[in-house]
Amino acid sequence: MSSFGFGLITAAVLAIATVGFTMQFAVTNVLNLAYGSIMINSAYVTYWVNTHGASIWLAMFAGVACGAVVSWFLNRFIYTPFQHKNLIPITLVIVSLGVNLIGTFGLQAIVGGSFVAYKMSQGHEFHILGMLLSGVQLIIFAICAVVLISIHWLLKYTRLGKAMRATSANRNLARNSGVKTQFIISMTWIISGALCGLAGTVFAMNSGVFEATSAEPYIVLLLAAMFLGGPGEPYGAMFGALTIGLATEISAAYIAADYKEVIAFLVLLGMLAFRPFGLFGSEKAL
Amino acid sequence: MWFYITTILVYGAVDALACLGLNMQFGVAGISNFGFIIFQAAGAYTAAVLSMPPAATSNGGFQQYILGWNLPWPLPWIGAALVGGLIALPFVFLVGKRLRGDFAAVGLLVSAVLLNLLATNYIPFLNGAAGISIVPAPLQSIFDSQGLGYQLAYGGVAILLTIFVYFLLRRITESPYGRSLRAMRDNDVVADSLGKNLRGQRTSILVLGGMVAGLSGGILVGFISLWAPGAWGYAETIVLFAAIIIGGAGNHKGAILGAILVPLGFEEITRFLPPFGSPSLVPALEWVAIGLLIILFLWFRPTGVIPEKRRILSAIVGRAPAVAATGEADASKDNIGAIDDFNFRSVLNTTPVANDHRVILSTQGLTKTFSGVTVVSDVSIAVQQGRLTGMIGPNGAGKSTMMALLAGTLPATSGQIFYDGRDITRVASYKRAQEGLVRTFQLASEFKKLTVLENLVCAIPRQSGDSFLGSLRGRRFWGEQDKNNIERAEEILEGFGLSQYADLYAGGLSGGQRRLVEIMRALLAEPKVLLLDEPMAGVHPNLARKIGNHLTKLVADGMTIVMVEHELSIMDEFCDPVIVLADGKVLAQGTMGELRANSDVVEAYLVG
Repeated sequence: MSSFGFGLITAAVLAIATVGFTMQFAVTNVLNLAYGSIMINSAYVTYWVNTHGASIWLAMFAGVACGAVVSWFLNRFIYTPFQHKNLIPITLVIVSLGVNLIGTFGLQAIVGGSFVAYKMSQGHEFHILGMLLSGVQLIIFAICAVVLISIHWLLKYTRLGKAMRATSANRNLARNSGVKTQFIISMTWIISGALCGLAGTVFAMNSGVFEATSAEPYIVLLLAAMFLGGPGEPYGAMFGALTIGLATEISAAYIAADYKEVIAFLVLLGMLAFRPFGLFGSEKAL
Repeated sequence: MWFYITTILVYGAVDALACLGLNMQFGVAGISNFGFIIFQAAGAYTAAVLSMPPAATSNGGFQQYILGWNLPWPLPWIGAALVGGLIALPFVFLVGKRLRGDFAAVGLLVSAVLLNLLATNYIPFLNGAAGISIVPAPLQSIFDSQGLGYQLAYGGVAILLTIFVYFLLRRITESPYGRSLRAMRDNDVVADSLGKNLRGQRTSILVLGGMVAGLSGGILVGFISLWAPGAWGYAETIVLFAAIIIGGAGNHKGAILGAILVPLGFEEITRFLPPFGSPSLVPALEWVAIGLLIILFLWFRPTGVIPEKRRILSAIVGRAPAVAATGEADASKDNIGAIDDFNFRSVLNTTPVANDHRVILSTQGLTKTFSGVTVVSDVSIAVQQGRLTGMIGPNGAGKSTMMALLAGTLPATSGQIFYDGRDITRVASYKRAQEGLVRTFQLASEFKKLTVLENLVCAIPRQSGDSFLGSLRGRRFWGEQDKNNIERAEEILEGFGLSQYADLYAGGLSGGQRRLVEIMRALLAEPKVLLLDEPMAGVHPNLARKIGNHLTKLVADGMTIVMVEHELSIMDEFCDPVIVLADGKVLAQGTMGELRANSDVVEAYLVG
């Protein structure tokens, strides 16, 4: 049962991250493999503000802002110009890997290789349904719930969200129908970047200690969760994150902790091989 | 000093081999193998455990590993190359035809991370994170492996093998098979529609590159005598990609230059830096530099230091020199007069067939659904041999999808397709093309980084040099036939009045010219049934009419053509019968005269 609890908390962090990741793919058609490095940079911004006396919950906003600004910048000044250059499609993935190296190791060059931790109390412990959860973990759940409900509300009931969905379905058609696609894409990157920054901060909170390369393996979980739910599908991402989060933690408990990510790898490879459009998706027109 | 030089020789050879193998995959065949390091690692481990004594008896059993066969050199190196090639086979499912290139790349990247994780954590297999050490140097029982002579010889053998691999890969790249690989790189769907077996091509290049990578691993481990998961993190592949992008993708010389500049250069430069900062600072800055180099080169010089060279094919001596590709050429200025008295029959290698107007291509209840939207719905048509059948319909009627279904570019959701009396619904599109069912595309579909002439020659079927083994047999084996093919392509090019563009990249032509190249290319594929998707769009009306006349002549000689076209005057003049599609269904069929009298058709299309 405790592994189920761990699984839920992993899933909550992963859900925040994957929704942002999949939204970027949806509007820009880019697999932003630098996502993990922006997460960890945001986590460090939170850490820096936190060590300068702000409470962790206040510092978190700095991390969120960092994620939003950096992601917007990345799309506006790197990905979009490269897309306009009309190079071969794989170029953007290679560029994103380059950005990932710069982000991760640039951070390492600045902060060094040692582990750090936030200044925060873990809060009271609670027994809920046989699971032992700390106060911090409960707060992470709450944050996750608020974020997912807000995203749902955004996509379903706001003009901005509808325009985002239209842009992701068919950018040209959306533009011709009067949607300001450039603005919508920027907004999407700001919102998804904010999710990325938030995910980085709660990820660091949840792992306790972290360093510059801590989020590197995370991209595999992200990709597995995204492909399980279908690339570019925010609701699919929520489902995928829940499944992958639970599967990794439960397999850690019953198989071996060293191999806990293996299940995510296998899910990802299986999806790519057999259903690259997700579990519920279907083939799209050429 | 000399020992240092031998080290550079060996590292340089290993890096050059790896870059050559990856360049063959990425630069030539367009396979973004982000898991390339797996294959080098497989070779290194294989060479190690093949040359080492059984784990239980050696070194007091302080390390665990499989095999331990104690084989003498060069068997471990051969084994390394073989295992490097074999381990490529399971990855074929990722680079298969239907998966987006970036998804396949991510799959390979993730595979590299996964395999590294498994090798790190599972100790009995290859000694886990500690890795394998005290790997015997080749022939160390005969020679003094620490001696300078031995080390120099080691470097020499490594360099010789690199030179051998360079010439081998060049031989393949410059053959008709290499042309097909580059066509696949530029546009795989189109290469498929011209009869290139993508899965076959990708498999052989994945295996070939894997063998080269495996060999490089074998050479490396014999020299440094240890191999551990830390040496082959997924990011090492990115270093190799950086090397190729900087050196010049698609050019084997560029790959070698990249190997010298990036993996070797970084290793050696940092060796001479004075120590500064924390121990992790220099490696961290190296990674940042590699990331920056990748992005800067892709932005300012995406073709690399030594760009891929443009291949000038020539069979006719003294052909008019190529004009400079300055922007959009004006199609109306082209010498289109020649097309009038041009005889396709001599070029197309076909003997006229008497037309019997039997049904050669037909569909039964053909249906295609995308995400619940039915685009082609229960369509049954019959195309008669020796006729130019037109297909019209409003935008979104399903015409292009119909073409894609007939040619096999898209699989049918349900229903059947018959070609020459045979059910071909499940036959792969490249096989349909090989059997004479050839299509063109509505959108630009030239192979951009092939010259116009290469675009044409590449489509000719049954080239003896257009197979892996054929390419290995060299120019003496396929040269004569290739010269012939080039001549045919030059003739047809002259007929279309485009000779002066023969040696320019097809990507630089104007829209109308590219349509013509596509028509020529499809004709050279020797179709029995030719599916043309808006071939005249963007072509000068006078030229369009001339092409129409030629199509009529080809049909009189036994070719069957199905043509989608918006220009009704062309339909009027050349097509009989004409099929009208609307909302994915067949609305009517008949001569244009009959259709104009049909009120349904007029309402659905001719007016609206």
